[in-house]
Amino acid sequence: MERSLSHIALFAALIAVLGLVPKIDLAAGVPITAQSLGIMLCGTVLGARRGALAVLLFLGLVALGLPLLSGGRGGLGVFAGPSVGFLIGFPLAAFVAGFVVERTTLAPVWAATAGAVIGGIGVLYAFGIAGMAVVLGKTMTEASYLAIAFLPGDVVKAVLAGLVTQAIARARPGALLSRA
Amino acid sequence: MPLASPFSDDGILLQDASVAFSGRRVLHGMSLHLTEHRIGIIGRNGSGKSTLLRLIAGLIAPDAGHVRVDGIDPAKDRRKMLTRLGILFQNPDHQILFPTVEEELAFGLIQMGADKAKATAQARARLAAEGRAHWAGAAVSTLSQGQRHWLCLQAILLMGPATILLDEPLAGLDLPMQARLARAFATLPQRLITITHDPASVSDADRVIWLEAGKVHADGPPGDVLPEFVSTMDQLGMSDADADLSG
Amino acid sequence: MLTLTSPVDTPLHRLPAGGKLAVLALFTAGLFWITSPLWLTLSLAAVLLLHGLGGAAFARHGLLLLRPLWPFVAVVGLWHLWTGDGIAGISIILRMLAAVAAANLVTMTTRLSDMIAVLETIALPLRPVLPPRRLALAIALVIRFVPVMSERLAQIAEAFRARSPRRAGWRIVAPAALAALDDAERVADALRARGGTE
Repeated sequence: MERSLSHIALFAALIAVLGLVPKIDLAAGVPITAQSLGIMLCGTVLGARRGALAVLLFLGLVALGLPLLSGGRGGLGVFAGPSVGFLIGFPLAAFVAGFVVERTTLAPVWAATAGAVIGGIGVLYAFGIAGMAVVLGKTMTEASYLAIAFLPGDVVKAVLAGLVTQAIARARPGALLSRA
Repeated sequence: MPLASPFSDDGILLQDASVAFSGRRVLHGMSLHLTEHRIGIIGRNGSGKSTLLRLIAGLIAPDAGHVRVDGIDPAKDRRKMLTRLGILFQNPDHQILFPTVEEELAFGLIQMGADKAKATAQARARLAAEGRAHWAGAAVSTLSQGQRHWLCLQAILLMGPATILLDEPLAGLDLPMQARLARAFATLPQRLITITHDPASVSDADRVIWLEAGKVHADGPPGDVLPEFVSTMDQLGMSDADADLSG
Repeated sequence: MLTLTSPVDTPLHRLPAGGKLAVLALFTAGLFWITSPLWLTLSLAAVLLLHGLGGAAFARHGLLLLRPLWPFVAVVGLWHLWTGDGIAGISIILRMLAAVAAANLVTMTTRLSDMIAVLETIALPLRPVLPPRRLALAIALVIRFVPVMSERLAQIAEAFRARSPRRAGWRIVAPAALAALDDAERVADALRARGGTE
């Protein structure tokens, strides 16, 4: 029980901290924040259930008024804005990413990359696009044009999620709770 | 003359206790009966002394044999252990769980069954008695290292345990801090079990246990155990073989 | 830790948190129900007026919080100029600004402890699966460990910089996650050392 709780809380803090670090420069100088990488790692490292709970806890603290989203954003306002769909999709993305790692026997790097693509892009974008469609009064197709701008960064992050998960699997085989 | 611990009735008993991590034995059939007021457990890194602390504290259960603290199994009955045993972790940042000073102090009392208002009042009273009433709402992240150590010790003392386990209590502190903490420990009425690699910090103990490779290597008064420990450590330091990998 | 609650004391700070949240929920639902640009303008004006209650500095801070919305305002504006349906575009922008500003206003005028109390009340029906004390403990742990991990991340980045001409970039994520896993084990120990969770 204590271990579950502490892992959920510490990974919620990890998501927050990854959003506080300055934007990471990718090879081509494309700035991305590591925050959504944190969301994917919650799933791929902690597994479906704990990962989703960590993300929910993080979102709860954001809603309570802590400036933990990247760029120091937070409070209830972010849940009323056009990005609300992505926020709602975060815990489900972590759940699906974790589910894929738990239920496949692929090597951690491939399982986590696949999980991050399916959860962190597939599931997340479905919710994110729906949210933008509602708030911005657009059709799903129109809203999806807006989401495409984020796609290259998120593909890179899915690959990074795979690499980081593999690094953890190598450094602490027992710590990868999604495979425990 | 060594004082008998005012709280002791039965002491800490290990019977043939062994611990293994993923198949590798870290403690081998350890049998000890600890009743003294000041006990030091010394050993090199990897000698198993931290595992022994975790075992006595009930943070892990033995794979074989058993552990009893005043007749209670510390790994099973966590609630009952709270009044018997407190643990001061080496790094305060591994012990402090709450964002503010008063929450940290109140937590242990709430765990022992006090309601939140009463626990908070008691925590504030303790702060006031120590001349630190203004600390109550302070964020622990704003405290200095020494202040965090003090907070950790108070959080344990508030719970009134009969025995306190100290894990390398003075490591990494500057000299004035070491002196201050050592003085604070010396005046405590509780039984103290100090785990350390530093023989000087247990030279005043009633009993010193030297662990080597998961076994008791020597056990007795500091005057008997420490000189041999120091000379052995010096010899090891002269040799240059540190190339073995564990496992 | 820093919260988004404004240090400027406004009359809104003294209203009960639960009431403010209920009004906010109704207001936001209402915004998606009305379509008339006139009413949407009045709604936004009302929210901005409430910001004005806190004085100039408070209101300016409230406006700053709306800044992340500008790309969306720009995209929607341009889109509707292109399609020639400017009124619809203006309605969408007004609604979005009013909803976000109203929500920010509640956040700016409600203390964290009051928000946590409301959350614990809302979570009461979940008691069998989520005891309130466990929820409170989880929240406290995150608030406690964000600054700790933030410091740790800076140390990791420094250790990287000390041996590399490049910035650490994404390479610090794996050590940061490992540090979180290690910390989680120690926190579990510290919890168990003081009685654990039931």
